[in-house]
Amino acid sequence: MNTRVVITGLGIVSPIGIGIGQFWKAALEGHSGISAIRAFGDLPLEAYRCRVAGQVADFNPAQYLDPVQAERIDRYAQFALVATKEALADAGLLMEQENPHRVGVIVGAGMGGMVMGEREITQLYRSQKPNRVHPNFIPTITLNSASGIVAMAHGAKGPNLTISTACSSSAHAVGQALTCIRTGQADVVITAGADASITPLVFAGFCSLRALSTGFNDEPERASRPFDRARDGFVMGEGAGALILESLPHARKRKARIYGEVAGYAATSEAYHMVIPREDGAEVATTMSLALRDAGVAPRQVDYINAHATSTQIGDAVEVKAIRQVFKDRADRIMVNATKSMVGHTLGAAGAIGSIACALGLETGQVHPTINYDDPDPACTLRGISAQAQQRTIRIALLNAFGFGSNNAAVVFKKFVR
Amino acid sequence: MTTESKIATRILTALAEYLKRDVTTIGLEHSLRDDLGLDSMATIELLFRIEEAFDLQIPDEDLQGLVTVADVVAYVEGRLKPSTPSRTAKQPAKRAPARKKG
Repeated sequence: MNTRVVITGLGIVSPIGIGIGQFWKAALEGHSGISAIRAFGDLPLEAYRCRVAGQVADFNPAQYLDPVQAERIDRYAQFALVATKEALADAGLLMEQENPHRVGVIVGAGMGGMVMGEREITQLYRSQKPNRVHPNFIPTITLNSASGIVAMAHGAKGPNLTISTACSSSAHAVGQALTCIRTGQADVVITAGADASITPLVFAGFCSLRALSTGFNDEPERASRPFDRARDGFVMGEGAGALILESLPHARKRKARIYGEVAGYAATSEAYHMVIPREDGAEVATTMSLALRDAGVAPRQVDYINAHATSTQIGDAVEVKAIRQVFKDRADRIMVNATKSMVGHTLGAAGAIGSIACALGLETGQVHPTINYDDPDPACTLRGISAQAQQRTIRIALLNAFGFGSNNAAVVFKKFVR
Repeated sequence: MTTESKIATRILTALAEYLKRDVTTIGLEHSLRDDLGLDSMATIELLFRIEEAFDLQIPDEDLQGLVTVADVVAYVEGRLKPSTPSRTAKQPAKRAPARKKG
């Protein structure tokens, strides 16, 4: 019998709120965090096909972090640090009372420290002065900078890992944290996902890939519209989500509040295409089935799915097709929502933020709306998708996440029963 | 050689370079996807070259009309004609995929 793993703390930095309270209230009310991009330095903004994003407005790192430390780390790592601090406080986990070698850190990041990365590359080529490249450039752009910074900030000396699988990074981080605790490598894993790469180069790259919405530049709040007929690409977001995962015995010993259980996980590869999913949905269906089997749960028991649903034409349709394959008659009775409709696609943070929606769903029975679901697309309609918030007891929740590089993840969450 | 056939030649050459095959093996009637094997990502890469070559921006919604090589040629010719509205590609018989996983 596997060690049971529970969620005992949550933290978030998102385009609709910093802090779980603010995020959840905004999510249930269906706020959009998508806004117009005001400037990319001196670059001509009109040359970007997409000009909207889910931006964390008015984020002042000095409000949350030591100002000297804050200045030395990239925006995505600042987000990760703020979110993990909140999650640890929420869990009531006092590091001075823990064996530090039994506390791990696993962070999902898709792009990493691109704010400084782009700045330094630009300055090097403009100035032609290699000796003026910032000494902190390498430690910042190394993709595990956030997981290192988080571990140092909290004194966590257990496994320290970064998972980078593009858009599914932090779903895999949650899954790997589950594995880490199940296999006895740690009692607690500070799990997070973070990205902040709404930067001139990365954003231009996503534009060139024709992955982003282009039809709603004048109506940013309507741009991210998963499952809606008029969806035309994803909207980039930024942020971080953090969850404290803990073995059940450890959580019990310290009488921690338990949001829910992380019960199963699957990771697969479609081995198909860097950016295009298989249209038949077979691999996505396999991933969900494997995660359910790992959790010892039958498809008919699932109450809620936090969908990957990025608002691309093909991605949303493939996911619904796969949900129908796995859940058959049950498919239309499951509540399904897309957190990205409000926060955009936060890349490396998306899986963690979706996991937070699952944890809060288990605890409260509340499922936030999928905003802009105005005209259901017949190609991806499920009765359980709603533009309104829903409420029903959730015993089993499922998180989907799919990433460039042909990879899929699914995580199963269970209502905690003693 | 007319301007229009020059455009066709440039597009065929770009395709041949991209596909690493002899230009004589590529015909205007070829479907980008079904005959030349370009998936949506490869089509986007090809159009990226064409945008560069002809100094164009091709909006996402115009991609659907670009099914065959002839469609691409007609589209570019239309776009390069002075005082022609930007979206002149004929409507597609079938949709060319231009979608991402995210």
